[in-house]
Amino acid sequence: MVLSDALVIVFISLFTAFLGEGVTYILVYRTEKYQKLKVEIEKQTKKLEKKKEVLGEALDKQQKKKIERDEERLKNNNRDLSLVKMKSMFFTGFAFTALLSMFNSIFDGKVVARLPFVPISWIQGLSHRNLQGDDYTQCSFIFLYILCTMSIRQNVQKILGFSPSRAASKQGIFGAQPGQFK
Amino acid sequence: MVQKQSGTDKSSKVHSVSFSELIKLGFSKNAEWPDDEIFLDWIYWSRQVVGLLFGLIWGLIPLTGFIGLALFGICSCGYVYLYCSAFGVDDEAYGGIYEIIKEGFMTNFASFLVAWIITYSSVHWDELLVERL
Repeated sequence: MVLSDALVIVFISLFTAFLGEGVTYILVYRTEKYQKLKVEIEKQTKKLEKKKEVLGEALDKQQKKKIERDEERLKNNNRDLSLVKMKSMFFTGFAFTALLSMFNSIFDGKVVARLPFVPISWIQGLSHRNLQGDDYTQCSFIFLYILCTMSIRQNVQKILGFSPSRAASKQGIFGAQPGQFK
Repeated sequence: MVQKQSGTDKSSKVHSVSFSELIKLGFSKNAEWPDDEIFLDWIYWSRQVVGLLFGLIWGLIPLTGFIGLALFGICSCGYVYLYCSAFGVDDEAYGGIYEIIKEGFMTNFASFLVAWIITYSSVHWDELLVERL
């Protein structure tokens, strides 16, 4: 029955999303260092955003230098935050690779859903992985799992309040751009 | 409970609104949003719901192929555009209509695809099997 397979995949991705966030909470989010860095980055981002807004494009040399200094500080904090997150990323990376290969073997060669469209050629390798025949509307486990994860993980993060703030994302916190005003 | 830090110069303040207040604000014309983040959260979550509904409808009709995908893109962006014009949202305050339309688009698209694929598969599976025999 196709519906039960598809729903099982939705539950698997719901389970892995909560598990991933739970592990990250225990290893990262609840630590004092992470919380301090997060607050610091958000504060700096807002300060920088406001500064850019007030000063606009017409900047003298001194102002440019000041903004560059702030950006450098933001970049350093961002690097520290990435380091704090690293250990959780390793752990979840290993755990999820093992889980994924287990589920992959369960659903191996099984059509879990029928796609209402024919995917473009470079996605077909994923959507038709380990399936026989050349009916590309047949959907493999991995394709549906990736779509579910894309949708569910982000929403779970948002519900739990773990997603980075918009101001931080806008400033490129996960890849800050220092020297923008050079 | 939606709890977000304020956007600009009110950076130290934390605004929070309950779920019912968020719904009330979302459906009132020219609403005074306490925070940019709360408004964008409303757009994000309402889009998620709309995306899931579109997925269900597309799967039940069923709409297929590129037309289904393109129609979703138009309807999803159209929803945000129409909401902003119908409810008197000053889009310039949020960096222009393009910034609002971008809010949560990828997640919305993924949710839509999941709903569309599952509904289409479960409702039309038997027909598809007969067709291929």
